[in-house]
Amino acid sequence: MISFLSLNRRTVGLAVILLVVILLEALEVRASIYPGLLPYFEWLKNSSWLGYLGTTYGSVYATVEAGHLISMAVIGGTILATDLRLLGVLFRDIPSEIITAGTFKCFKVSLVCAIATGIFCAAGVADKVYYMEVFWIKMLTLLTGSCFMIFIKQPLLSSRPHSEINPWILRLLAVTSILIWFTVAATGRWIGFS
Amino acid sequence: MNESNKWDDKQIAAVGSGVIILGALLFYWIGEGQSTVELLELAYGSFKFFNNPLVF
Amino acid sequence: MINELLLQFAHWLEAQQYSQMLVSGYYSWNWLEATHVLTLMISIGSLFIIDFRMLGWVLPNVPATTIADRLHKPMITGFVIMFITGILLVYAKPVENVQSLWFRIKMLLLLLAFVNAWIFNAKMRAADGSWDADRVAPKPLRTGAIISLCLWCGVVAMGRFIPYDWVDCDKVSNTTLLWAAGCVEQLNAI
Repeated sequence: MISFLSLNRRTVGLAVILLVVILLEALEVRASIYPGLLPYFEWLKNSSWLGYLGTTYGSVYATVEAGHLISMAVIGGTILATDLRLLGVLFRDIPSEIITAGTFKCFKVSLVCAIATGIFCAAGVADKVYYMEVFWIKMLTLLTGSCFMIFIKQPLLSSRPHSEINPWILRLLAVTSILIWFTVAATGRWIGFS
Repeated sequence: MNESNKWDDKQIAAVGSGVIILGALLFYWIGEGQSTVELLELAYGSFKFFNNPLVF
Repeated sequence: MINELLLQFAHWLEAQQYSQMLVSGYYSWNWLEATHVLTLMISIGSLFIIDFRMLGWVLPNVPATTIADRLHKPMITGFVIMFITGILLVYAKPVENVQSLWFRIKMLLLLLAFVNAWIFNAKMRAADGSWDADRVAPKPLRTGAIISLCLWCGVVAMGRFIPYDWVDCDKVSNTTLLWAAGCVEQLNAI
């Protein structure tokens, strides 16, 4: 049993997460937790130094927003290079193992920058974003996408030559990753319009 | 393809999570598309980007 | 003189039916703006990967010119989309943009960025190919890459500043700023 779990920890983990999500939804836990989150968002906007900086100094807020956009642009660049290579569109003459390994650190650094600047941006309008469905969609996609990239996609791609992986799995990983980061960026932009 | 590695933990997890995430995101975007079309129809009487009979 | 001409042109654009439709459509403005911003991930994303490679930060084991060549097409495609959506965004709100200091600085930085890209490209083509497989590019190319990164960060920042009203015509009284932002009416009133 223990050896089965340790040999299949990603699959078992995925099944457990799926089961927990279904259970939480069935028991309406999300709906009961949601109102309790409001005080934290109000604190973030009105009492934290992040919220104070963001609401008091417009120029600081706009500069951090620009940093957020630049981080997202770099994420886009790494995704474009990696996933279009996996789809066989770009860099066809360079092994996909090299492209995947060579861009992942850059992806991680830009993801950390995007999250750090994103927290600052959200703090300045925390009482507004709390009520936005699109904000929660973005957060959910960001969380799921980050876990997918760090615990699923990269470990598989760095574990063996890509010729040993079914090409359809590589395509699935690439399309999923492109759609994840498109959704994160598009929903992020839509927060500004809502 | 190496047969012994064909369906190991990493590949099953990749396919499982890929299908679930891709499915969920496609479901979200199709829903968004439908509600957008409905809103534009409500606003302009038909699916148009602008309230002008000369423009699509 | 140039400010008056630009303002007249902007008023002429703003009076056009299509300009007004772009702003008043349910989603037209939002979609245009979202496309303009999201395309950053393709255009500036590709450009930064090329610049990072020159500095040895990504893909150091892939020849630098190969990275630049392969990413050229997506980068140009992204810039073309950004250029078209950018023109439409200015067309939708011409007076606001013509009288925005940030928009003017953005255009200046864009011009400098394109000049830098042209010089960078010429230097890359002219350089002896022996450096291509090196971890970092020669100093002139590294300098070009750093200038490119700074200029494009500036372009993004100025683009982000445009909606903010800190230096709008009715908010400033400094004549140099008013002239730089093209605030014709306020300058005439002084």
